[in-house]
Amino acid sequence: MEFKDYYQTLGVTRDATTADLKKAFRKLARKYHPDVSKEADAEQRMREVNEAYAVLSDPEKRAAYDELGRGYQPGQDFRPPPDWDAGFEFSGHGFSRDEAADFSDFFAELFGRMGGAGTRHARAGFRMQGEDHHAKVLLDLEDTFNGATRQITLRVPQTDAQGRMRLATRTLNVKIPRGVRAGQVIRLTGQGAPGTDGAPAGDLLLEVQFKPHPRLRADGRDLHLTLPVAPWEAALGAVVPVDLPQGSVKVRIPEGAQSGRQLRVRGHGIPGQPPGDLLLDLQVVLPPAATPKARQFYEAMARDLAFDPRDQGRA
Amino acid sequence: MRDDDILSGSLMEDTWLTLEQVAAACMVEPAWLTRHIEEGLFPDAESIAGTWRFSGVSLLRARRMRQLERDFEAVPELAALVADLLEEMDILRAQIRRGMV
Repeated sequence: MEFKDYYQTLGVTRDATTADLKKAFRKLARKYHPDVSKEADAEQRMREVNEAYAVLSDPEKRAAYDELGRGYQPGQDFRPPPDWDAGFEFSGHGFSRDEAADFSDFFAELFGRMGGAGTRHARAGFRMQGEDHHAKVLLDLEDTFNGATRQITLRVPQTDAQGRMRLATRTLNVKIPRGVRAGQVIRLTGQGAPGTDGAPAGDLLLEVQFKPHPRLRADGRDLHLTLPVAPWEAALGAVVPVDLPQGSVKVRIPEGAQSGRQLRVRGHGIPGQPPGDLLLDLQVVLPPAATPKARQFYEAMARDLAFDPRDQGRA
Repeated sequence: MRDDDILSGSLMEDTWLTLEQVAAACMVEPAWLTRHIEEGLFPDAESIAGTWRFSGVSLLRARRMRQLERDFEAVPELAALVADLLEEMDILRAQIRRGMV
């Protein structure tokens, strides 16, 4: 296990005050904010910053970390002493257990012990239903059409018999319901935290999001697609095939269509009751004038059509 | 349960979530949510016969607001204002993507 230098992560010295830490943390929280950051690895960096701050902002954890980490260099192989058994409660500036599941193994090894947090479950004599767990899953857009079975790997904090928190990897095979949309939640009954004294386990709630698709974009039930058409298809009208995850559909391009026009094909969006629509944004693509023959065509059009595209709206 | 068992889940009633579900998913106390709703910081939340229900968008909003409050000690109204701006930005970015593809 690699030793992590939390001071380095936050860019502060070892004698930093609470105020210094807070200032450094906020600066980095702004820099790596997932919604605005331009850094490619913002999410990963924010996790590291959160982890470092969770430790250093808690005086007890910070003292233990300083004590243990004496003489270690970042990246150096780290082994906690065999008698290391500090009774940390997992609470540090509002970072929850589930968030801590994203923290490093180094963190879990040092501060993973659940200590007092277990009281919530261990209230004697009460039957308590287990908590609902929540996770996000990233699916391919095709999955909602096929109702595919996807393997989903979760990192979950688990408390063992000694009360130590461990990060366990859980792999689930989940049947994706056909027609699922971004933002919807799949409930897996009984796959959350176990209950106490025989009470039922909580549920696992999977929030669905789609990976970006090279051609298609889902907007609720509707599918958006930019459809390139040739000038003659747009001008004269045509029936063109459009490839979709559920197969190819034939779409009629109306005569006189222009770039930027949107065609709605009812019922060919994400399946469901009712299914969504397919929205095609037409884009007229010109053939290159790369051969003498093509140039002749363009020259003939220029001569014979007397067309000025800038004329419209000028009068 | 064996590792290769295939689990079938149920879709939660058309993206509507209860207060407890949102609270669990965003790791906030239900009381935090109730307080913020009462102060009008969750315009999307609807009360049907005394029960709050939320759309999927509220999940993201609750997460963003909680992080802003925690990381920057932002007052709830400021966190809500930033969440409003981020939502506006999401819409505009989606429009840009549509226009440029």
